[in-house]
Formats: sequence, C-alpha cells, structure tokens
Amino acid sequence: MLNYLIKRLLWMIPMLIGISLISFFIMHLAPGDITASESAFNPKASEESRQKLRALYNLDKPLVTQYSLWLKRIVKLDFGNSFASHQRPVLWETKDDKGNITKGMIQDALPITLMINLIGLLIIFVLSIFLGVVSAVNQNRWPDRLITIIVFIGFAVPGFWLALLLMYWTGVTHSWLPISGLHSVGYEKMGLMAQYLDLIKHLILPVFVSSLGGLASISLYVRNGMLDVLQQEFITTARAKGLTENKVVYGHALRNTLLPLITIVGLSIPGLIGGSVIGESIFAISGMGKLFFDAVLMRDFPVVMGILTIGSVLTLFGNLIADIGYAWADPRIRRGITN
Amino acid sequence: MYFKSILIFFFLFNLTSCSDKKEIAYNYDGTFSSEKGGTLIDAMSGEPSNLISMIAGDSASSAISGNIFNKLIKYDKNLELAPEIAEKWTISSDQKTITFQLKKNLKWSDGHNLTSEDVLFTWKLVTDDKTRTPYGSDYKLVDKAEAPDPQTFRVVYKQAYAPALDSWATLQILPKHILKDEDINRTFCSRKPVGSSYYKLAQWVNGEKLTLEASPSSVMGEPNISNLTSRFIPDTSSQFLELIADNIDLMNINPIQFARVIPSRPDLKNKLALYKELGNSYTYLGFNSKHLPFNDIKVRQAINYAIDKQEIIDGVLLGLGEPVASPYKPGTRWSDQKLHPYPYDKNKALNLLREAGFNDTNHDGILEKDGKPFSFEILTNQNKQREMTAVLIQRRLKDVGIDVKIRVIEWASFVNQFIKTGDFDAVILGWSLSLDPDQYNIWHSSQQKPGQFNFIGYNNKEVDQLLEEGRTELNPDKREKIYHAFSKILLSDSPVIYLYAGYGLTAMSKRIKGVESPTPPAGIAYNSYEWFIPSTVRRNEIAQ
Repeated sequence: MLNYLIKRLLWMIPMLIGISLISFFIMHLAPGDITASESAFNPKASEESRQKLRALYNLDKPLVTQYSLWLKRIVKLDFGNSFASHQRPVLWETKDDKGNITKGMIQDALPITLMINLIGLLIIFVLSIFLGVVSAVNQNRWPDRLITIIVFIGFAVPGFWLALLLMYWTGVTHSWLPISGLHSVGYEKMGLMAQYLDLIKHLILPVFVSSLGGLASISLYVRNGMLDVLQQEFITTARAKGLTENKVVYGHALRNTLLPLITIVGLSIPGLIGGSVIGESIFAISGMGKLFFDAVLMRDFPVVMGILTIGSVLTLFGNLIADIGYAWADPRIRRGITN
Repeated sequence: MYFKSILIFFFLFNLTSCSDKKEIAYNYDGTFSSEKGGTLIDAMSGEPSNLISMIAGDSASSAISGNIFNKLIKYDKNLELAPEIAEKWTISSDQKTITFQLKKNLKWSDGHNLTSEDVLFTWKLVTDDKTRTPYGSDYKLVDKAEAPDPQTFRVVYKQAYAPALDSWATLQILPKHILKDEDINRTFCSRKPVGSSYYKLAQWVNGEKLTLEASPSSVMGEPNISNLTSRFIPDTSSQFLELIADNIDLMNINPIQFARVIPSRPDLKNKLALYKELGNSYTYLGFNSKHLPFNDIKVRQAINYAIDKQEIIDGVLLGLGEPVASPYKPGTRWSDQKLHPYPYDKNKALNLLREAGFNDTNHDGILEKDGKPFSFEILTNQNKQREMTAVLIQRRLKDVGIDVKIRVIEWASFVNQFIKTGDFDAVILGWSLSLDPDQYNIWHSSQQKPGQFNFIGYNNKEVDQLLEEGRTELNPDKREKIYHAFSKILLSDSPVIYLYAGYGLTAMSKRIKGVESPTPPAGIAYNSYEWFIPSTVRRNEIAQ
C-alpha cells in the first residue's frame, strides 16, 4: 500500500509539469496581454509606455523563457504577484518592512468559495441520498415521480434567473433575507453571535441556488444504484432471512449503493475551489470563480496560472483520495492494489 | 444585461401586488437645511485596484482616489479650468512656462505640510521610467520643473504645449514624505493612502466594500456627508435590487430602468430621484480608410446620410442620448453649435453612391462597382448597445443596397487581431468626449503605427496642421477657433460617423439633498461635497 502511494505521488510531478505547460501555452494562445485591457484603450496612454510595461512583466521575452521563469518561481512555491496595478500576491499574504500586510488574492477568495461549496456539497449529498432512497423504494409510484420532476426542474432552471427571483422575493418584497454580499454594512459593529447569524442569513440564498443543480445528478445516481442493488440476490437472501425492510434497505442495500459515491466525492474535491462566475457576480461574493474569470479577461497570467496550478494539484489529490477511499471501503479493490 | 433587466421588469409587475414589506415611511419632501453627518452608500461594479491613480488606470480607482487626493487645478461645473490647490497659475508670454501659485497652509491628512516639493516629487514619479504608469508621456514634455519656494511650482516646456493645463488638472498630487523611500509600484500607500482632499480611507474590505470618512484637515473644507461607503456589486441587476430595497442610495442605471421600470412604480418614484447627464463618450462607426471603397469620401458621406441616428438613439438608448457633430461635449466651448449631424436622407445617400460608381447592375438589391458587390463587415466588441446599433445600421444600409455583416469579438482579440493589424472594414467603438480639445493622438496622420490610436488611417493635411497648431496655442479663444475649424473638416470628411453620445443615468435616494438640478455640464457629482442627508431621513439612526 505504501509503495503504491509513493508511486502515485511521484507520478504527480510529471503530470503537474505537463498540465502547467499545456495551460501556460493555451493561455498565451489567446491574443492580447495585460496592457490591452479595455481601460488601457486610452489616447493618453502611449504605445511606448505599454511597451515599457510589457518589458517590466517579461511579456516581451519568448514564451519558453517566460515559462521557465514561471517554473523557477513555482518550484519554490512562489506564485508571484498579479499583473494588475494593485500587484497583490497571487497566493498568500506578504509583509513589507513597515509591517503592512498585503493579503493574497487566492487567500481572500478561496475560504469564501470553499465555505459555500462545502456546505453545498454536504446538503447535496445528504439530501440526494435521502431523495434517491425514497425514489428507489417507491419506484414508479407517486413519490418517485414527484421527486424526479422536482429535481429535474431544479436542474433545468437557469441559476441566475432563480437567484434574481429569490432575491427579489425574499429581499425586496419581504426583507427576510439580505439581497447580496456576505456581510451587512454594519457588520463590524455587531456582536459575535449577531455576526454569525448575519453570515448565515447571507449564505442561505447562494448555497441554495448553487446546490440545486448538483441535487439532480446525485439523487438520480443514488436512485439507480439503489435499484440495481435491490435486485441483487443477497437482498433477496436478506429478505428471506426475515430481516425488517428497514434493515434490508438501510443496512444492506444503501451501504452497497454508497460505494460508487466515494468516487464522486473524490472527484468533487477540485470542484470545491471553483466558484460559479454568474452566481458570484449576482450575489456579489468575491470568490474563486469571479477571480479566475476577471483574471482571464485581463490576461493577468500569474493569477490564471496560480489558480490552474492549485486546481490541478487538487484534482490529482482528489483522484488519489477517491482511489484510497475506494480501496478502504471495498476489499476487492484493496487486494488488487496490494498485489 | 438587457435580458436580465427585462426579466426583472416583468417580475416587478407581477410581484408588487403581494408586497407586505413594512417600509419605514420616510418623508423626503419639504425643505431641509444643509447639515453635516450621515452615510451615503453606493454600488460599484468593479473594485478599485489601486488608490494611486497614476498607476491604477481603472475608473473605479479614480472615482475613489479623486475624493482623497487633490490636483493643482480642476474643471469647474461648466468644464472650465479653475483653481484647486493652486490659487492661480500664470503662463509666460512665450507660452512655454507655467507657474502655479499654491494656496497657503495646505496640510496632508496626517498633519504634514503640503508644499510645492510634493508637486515636484509627483512630477518626478510620473516621469520616472521605473513607475508603472501608462500616462507619463504628457509630463515628459516638461523640460524643467522646479519648486523655488514652498508655494511656487514652475514647469518649463521645450515648446508650448496646450494640453499641459489639462494634464495638470488630472495629476493627483502625492505625499513626498510618505513615498520618498518607497517603490511606487508596490507601496502600501496605494491601499492606505494619505491624501489632502475631502475624505480619507476608513476601511477597505477586499471584494466587499470600501469606506471613506470626512478628513478634518481637508484642504478643501469639510464635506457635508461624513461617510461614503462603496459596496462592490458586480451585477447591475443585483445593484438595482439593493437600490429598490433601499440598501444603497446611488447607482448608475440603464435606459430601461430609467425610462420604464422606475416611472411605472409609484413606490419607487416616491423614494428615488432620477438624474441624467451627458456622458463623457460618444459611439461612432469608423471606416478603415485604407480599405476600398472607404477611401472615397462620397461613400463615407453616403453611409452617413443613410444611417438614421435618431432611430438608433430611440431604439438603443430609449431616447436617452444626443446626436453629436464633433468629438466634443455639446455645451462646452469646443463644441461648435453651428455644426449639425448628417440628417437621414436616403436619396442623397443613393445619389452619392451612384456618383462614386456604385450601381445595382444585376438587380439583386445590392450595389456593385466593377462587378464587385458592395459588402462589408462591421466589427464591434461585446457590448449590448453597440451590437444593437450595428443591427440597426445593417438594416438601414440594406435599404440603400449595401450588404453588411456584423461580427462581435472579445475585447483583447478585437484589439490585437483586428485593430492593431488594421484588418477590418468598419468598427463600432467609442471615444471619450475629451475635456481638452487636443485629439492629436486620434486624428493626426502620424499616429497610424500599430498600437497607436489613428487606426482608421485618417489622413488629411489640413487637419494635421490644425492639430499641430492647436497643440501649441494656450489661449482658449484662439484654440476655440482652431478646433472649430478642425471639427468642421472632420464632419465633412466623415472618416467616422458619429452615432450618439449617451446620457449617464443615475438613480439616487431622495434622502440625498443638495443635488444640483438641472445637471450642469460637469455632471451631478461635481458638488457632491455639498450634498447632505437630513438627520430625519438617515438610514442608520432609524433602522438600527
């Protein structure tokens, strides 16, 4: 098992280099650079000064040189600074000699996105398992039909549209929930409990809207898996033994259904750091989706590469964790690995 | 955006009936006398990146930094130059030397004295090659800058340079005592600025909001409103929801919201005041003069006659815009009132096209010359208003027998693959209606290299000469004549077709008092330090 782990970890290094190489060159295939942003289309900004900026950012060097410069920094875990005029560090905060701390861009955006996605993932899985089991047990009867219809509607409704409707209904007509942002304007003056409550209130809509889409696929996955398992012979055996229906469904069938879900959980790890651009824009939450989108539009290469690198590392680790989790849960796989 | 606005628009109608929100009934009417205090909350679509504006370059940054830093001179409400921290300025008889006399007892918000040394230091920064600023070129024309005494700042130009005054009306003066040992590109001062103007930074939460508070040592006097909070809300539909829920006081709105949504709802009309002001830019259809047949003035004029500008203003902007006849803001001295846009005249257009050699020889509805049909492509970037404009132009030009295709391209590709290479027939883009009349960079024939701004390849000796003359003449009356002559030639040459100048539309909570109406040429914000919020209608006191 340890050998297997080491082998897998070592394999990640060439994989990561390959991924970064491909992302780097694809990124540079898109025309333009930071100096060509829309605000730079200003007659007061001369072409010479743009050339000067390009030289400062090494954008005038050949691509291979730019890539090796980037690689040299990244092996020291230095993600560099954004090309944008604030020059903030891409990944983590830095401190200047006067003790002023400049926060990293990913450092700011990641916790927010992670929080929303983790809560969302938790809700999706708990709810999907429940809905999937209810559907499967009541196959082709009204609860099954109802759940399928609702889940599909949730999947099909455009998120931004639903978000705006809910914002209008809960925020403008009723003022039950705040409309956008993560904190109220007077957040700093609140007590600790009130701050938590304020945050929860702000999270309800974004989490609800972002988890609605995932609900459909996973609950159907659980439903179909459950149906497969319920038709297998060991279930008949269990029933023949005289076990209660609850024990058959939850004790035997569900446990077997959950196995493939481990893979899905593993594969959703990289998704945890990716936010939805539209959702974040509408709810005015400055998470990873908006950060990445803006960086791509601005051709802010260090930020784009930083997010892609972290994303690919997480994807590779997610795969690994899924495999290990699977091996842990299923003896057949475990034996395959150790042999 | 439009699609979303329309959706919201419908739901506003459907949902208003079931509103059970207990609104706090503010009484916004009546007369109020100005008082200090209160918080104004507005929404910004983008977060400022850097509060040192010579480095920043985005509009959000300059909107905030303009409240923190001062300039030597400024544009007043009629867009004429006026003193700011310079009490007066004098121009030498050879027009090469400008001497600024600073006001006395100026202070930075940390108590240090603000002197001409700071101005000199700022000039050195903006012209330093190590400074990451795109705006250095105007200031590099200064041959010698000096600060002979704490109140005097003098610049000597190699040759008279008329846009110089405009450049000193945009340069924000930075504190030498803070920045002298810092790397301007990385200084923390860009996130924790020490300024001299009305406000100072109180708090900046990344990705969320930025709050300014009135600075007691402001060299401009104390503003009425004590706190300005800007919330960063990228989506304008969400901003609008926050506005109608009374969570923000101020936002820029679109024509549908201005002309349809708000007027149709009495509850919104009661609490929101609407303002329109002529924006600072115009939208044009520009031809690539190096491509056939756009090198022919008759063809350009014909297209100008064939496009109905009022139709575009009505259709795209719901009437909330003006046609322009020169690249200057109507109402300022540079805009010649005697010039009028080309009227819509289909027959004139057809005649001109015939004179230029275009005829529909094969009767397919499309004109031909030398056997080739008149067909061209209009490029524009992803901007809803420009796309809609292109469609209206396409239809009008079909009427006169010109086949138009439309292509919408992402901005960076647009600039690099088409504008820089000159690989386009026609573009729909915008230019700013600059406050200084100098437009050498846009229209002079020497400015056609890749990356320069005369990418349409406009070339007219007479215009070149006028632009050169205008650059060296500092007397406003003489300049006015020069630029009126320039605008006249530009209009008749028609290298671009002026389509419209849209209004900037603002919805503001009626709790904000002291806003000047009708809007002066400089826009509503020019006296924002005089705005006030009467304590009886303040949000915080009642709601919390």
